[in-house]
Amino acid sequence: MNVPFIGEVPSDIVVSWIVTVLLGIFIMWWMTSRRKWPLVGEYVTTTDNRKIGTMYILLAMVFFIRGGMDAMFIRTQLAVPENEFWVFQSQKYNEVFTTHGTVMIFFVAMPLLIGLMNIAVPLQLGANDLAFPYLNSISFWLFVAGGVIFNMAFFFNAAPNAGWTSYAPLATDTYTTGPNNNYYIFGLQISGLGTIFTAINMIVTIVRLRAPGMKMTRMPLFSWATLITSILILIAFPVLTISLLLLTFDRLYGTSFFLGEYGNPVYWQHLFWIFGHPEVYILILPAFGIFSDIISTFSKKRVYGYTSMVIAICLIGLLGFMVWAHHMFTVGLGALANAIFAITTMLIAVPTGIKIFNWLFTMRRGVVRITTPMLFSLGFIPTFVIGGVTGVMLAVAAADYQYHDSYFVVAHFHYTMIGGTILGAFAGIYYWYPKMTGKMLDEKLGKWHFWLFIIGFHLTFMPQHFAGLNGMPRRVYTYTWEDGLFLLNFVSTIGAFLMGASMLFVAWNLYKTHRYTDKVGPDPWDGRTLEWTVDSPPSEHPFHPIPKVDSIDAYWYSKLDKKPLPSSEEIRPSPIPVKTIQPLVLAGILIFMSIGFIYQWVWMQVIGGSLALGFFILRSLTDEREKTYREEEES
Amino acid sequence: MKENTAYLFEDKRLGFFLYLVVEAIMFATLFATYIIYTPASRGADPSEVYELRTVVLTSIFLLSSSGTLLIAERGLKNWSRMKIWIGLGATFLLGGAFMVLEVHEFYKYWSEGYTLSMNNFLSSFYVLVGLHASHVAFGLAWMILLMFQFTKQLPRALFIEKHKIFNYYWHFVDVIWVLIICIVYAPYLF
Repeated sequence: MNVPFIGEVPSDIVVSWIVTVLLGIFIMWWMTSRRKWPLVGEYVTTTDNRKIGTMYILLAMVFFIRGGMDAMFIRTQLAVPENEFWVFQSQKYNEVFTTHGTVMIFFVAMPLLIGLMNIAVPLQLGANDLAFPYLNSISFWLFVAGGVIFNMAFFFNAAPNAGWTSYAPLATDTYTTGPNNNYYIFGLQISGLGTIFTAINMIVTIVRLRAPGMKMTRMPLFSWATLITSILILIAFPVLTISLLLLTFDRLYGTSFFLGEYGNPVYWQHLFWIFGHPEVYILILPAFGIFSDIISTFSKKRVYGYTSMVIAICLIGLLGFMVWAHHMFTVGLGALANAIFAITTMLIAVPTGIKIFNWLFTMRRGVVRITTPMLFSLGFIPTFVIGGVTGVMLAVAAADYQYHDSYFVVAHFHYTMIGGTILGAFAGIYYWYPKMTGKMLDEKLGKWHFWLFIIGFHLTFMPQHFAGLNGMPRRVYTYTWEDGLFLLNFVSTIGAFLMGASMLFVAWNLYKTHRYTDKVGPDPWDGRTLEWTVDSPPSEHPFHPIPKVDSIDAYWYSKLDKKPLPSSEEIRPSPIPVKTIQPLVLAGILIFMSIGFIYQWVWMQVIGGSLALGFFILRSLTDEREKTYREEEES
Repeated sequence: MKENTAYLFEDKRLGFFLYLVVEAIMFATLFATYIIYTPASRGADPSEVYELRTVVLTSIFLLSSSGTLLIAERGLKNWSRMKIWIGLGATFLLGGAFMVLEVHEFYKYWSEGYTLSMNNFLSSFYVLVGLHASHVAFGLAWMILLMFQFTKQLPRALFIEKHKIFNYYWHFVDVIWVLIICIVYAPYLF
C-alpha cells in the first residue's frame, strides 16, 4: 500500500496503525469520562504485590490478543493449499510466526505466571509483601519496557523474522539486515532482566518471610514450585543475557561469534538451549503448583504424596539443565552425546509421571467439586499426558531425525505449553480472581470458556501430529494439493478459530462479573491455605497479626476444629512499601536507549545510557528505607 | 530481640548474593566462550598479544584494593570514621589505577592492530575482560556515591548496610579478576 510521505508500507501495518490509534483515542476518552485516571495513577506508582500481579496479568492478556491474532493469521494462511491470504506469505509469514512464538512465551506465559506468583505466593506464606517491593515494581516495568520494544517493531515494519529461537547465522546481520532482530535482542534483554529480579525477589521472600511455623515442608505446592522455578530462572536467564550480548556484538560491532570462518552457529544453539530448555520448565512448574493446590482444594483432601511432589519438582528442575541438546539431535553432535541426552530426557518422564499419579490419587475418594478451576485442572491431566508421551517419542534420538522440524514438534510443544502452562494460568486466574479483585468470575461462562477452549485446542493440534508425520515441515507458509495435507490443516484452522471464540466468553465474563456481582468474602472456595484467611481483595499489608502455622493446610484444619488460627508473638518487620513513579521513568529511559541501539543512533545510546546509569544515583539518594532506619536509630 | 533493620539487612544481603550468582553465571558463560574460541585458527595468537608487565601491574593494584577495603570493613565494625575514609580512599585510588592501566592495555592492543573483529579470540577477550572492566568502573562510581553518602547524615545502620553491600560487590569483582588471570592470561604467558 502506498502511503503519502512514507512510501510503500504493507497494508496490514497501515490497518494496525489506524486501529491502534482509534482504540487509543477511545480508551483515553473512556478513562477521562469515567474518571479513571486517579486509579491508573495509583496503580503505576504502587509497589504492592497484588496490584503489580494484577497489572502483569492484564498486560499479558493484551499481548495474548496480539499473539493470538498472529496465530489466526498463520492458521488462515495455512487453511487451504496454495493459499494467498492478505500479505502473509514468505517474509511476512516469517515475521508472523516469529512474533507469535516470542510474544506467547516471553510476554504472555511468563507474565501470567509471574503475575499469579505475585498475587498468591506472599499470601500463601503469610507474608505481607514480597521482600523487595520497590524491586518488584522495577521488575514489572522492565517487563513492560521489553514488551513495548518487542511489539513496536511491527508498527515500524521491522518485526523480528528469525524464529523465536533466533538461530544463527540467520539472525546475524549478514542474512537478516535491518533493525528487525535488534528489536528481538533488546526486547528480550530488558524483559529478561526484569524476570531475573523477580526470581531474586521470590527466593528471598520464600526463604525469609514465611509465617512462624510455616516450615519449608509445610509450604503449599504453588510456593514450592515458585521457589524451584525462581532458582531455574536465576541460572538459565543469565545465559540468555550473555548469548543475546554476543549476538548484539555480531550484529552491531562486527564480531563473528556465530558465523563466518571463525564463528560457529552451533554455539548459539547450545547457548540458546542451555537457557531455553530450563525455560520450558520455568513455564510448566508453576502450572504444576497451581494444579496441585486447586486439585487438593476441590477434592477436599490433602494433596497425595506431598513429599514426593516436592521431590518431583526438584528433580524436574535439576534434570531440566541436562537435556538441552535434545533440541539439537540432528546437528550432528555424535552418537554418544545424542544417547546421553536422549536418556536424560526420558528420565524426566519419571518425576512427571509421579506428579500425574499423585494428582489422580488426590482426587480418589475425595469430595470432588467440578468448579471452573477444577475443570481446567481436569482438562490439563489427559492433555498434558499426550504432550508428555509425544515428548518421550521425540526423545528417541534416532526417531527424532524423522520428527525434527516437522508439525509433529509443533503439536508436541503446544500440547505442553497450552495444555500445561495456559490451562494452568486460566485455572489460577479463575481460582485467585477473588484475591485479585474481590469478585468471583461467573461459573457458567467459565465452563463455556473451558469447553470451547479445550475442544478447539484438540481440534487445532491433534491433526498437526499427523500432518507432521506425513512430512509437513514447520515454518512453511504453504503446501500443495498433492501433499495430501488439506484436511488436516483445515480442521486445525477450524479449531484455532474455536479457541479464539472461547476467549470472547472471557471478555463477556469479565464484563458481567464487574457489572453485576458483589464482593465475596475471604474464603469463597472453602480453601485450605493462608491466602483464604485474608479479605478479598486483601489490604496492602493483610496479615495483622501474622498467623502461626503448625501443619500443611493449617487453615483447613483450623476450620475443621472450628478454631481460628493462632496468631504469633514473634513478628519480623514487613517489607517497606513506597509510592513512586521512578520505575515507570526507568522503563521510558530504557526504551529510549534501546531504540538508540536498535537503529544505531549513537547520541541516543549515550543519552539513554547516561540516564539509565544516573538512575542508580537517584535510587541510592531516595532510598525509602532511610525513614525506618532513622526511626530505629532515634528510639 | 533482633532489631528490625537487622532483618531488613539480612533480606537485602541474601538478595544481593543471589544477584552475584546471576553475575557469576554470566561470567561463566563468557569464560566458556573464551575457552572455546582461544586460540583462534587465524589472526593474532594470545601469546603475541599479551604482555606480562601490564597483567602483573593491574593484578597488583586490583588485588591489593580488596585488602585496603578490609580496613574500611574494620572501621565499620568498631565505627571509626577515620578507618572508613582511609579504606575507601585507598581502594578507590587502587581501583582507579587499575582502570587507567586497563584502558591503556586495550588502547595499546587496539593500536597494534589487534581489534575486536580480528578473530574470535580477540572478540571474546574484549567482551569478557571489557565486561569485567566495566564492573570495576561501576564500582568506582559506586565508591564516589558511597563517600558522598558518608558525608551526609545517613542513619548509621543504613550506611553500614550500603557499605557492606558494596564490599561484597568489590570482592566479587576481584574474584572474577583472579579467574581472568588463571583462565585468560596465564595459559599464554607462562
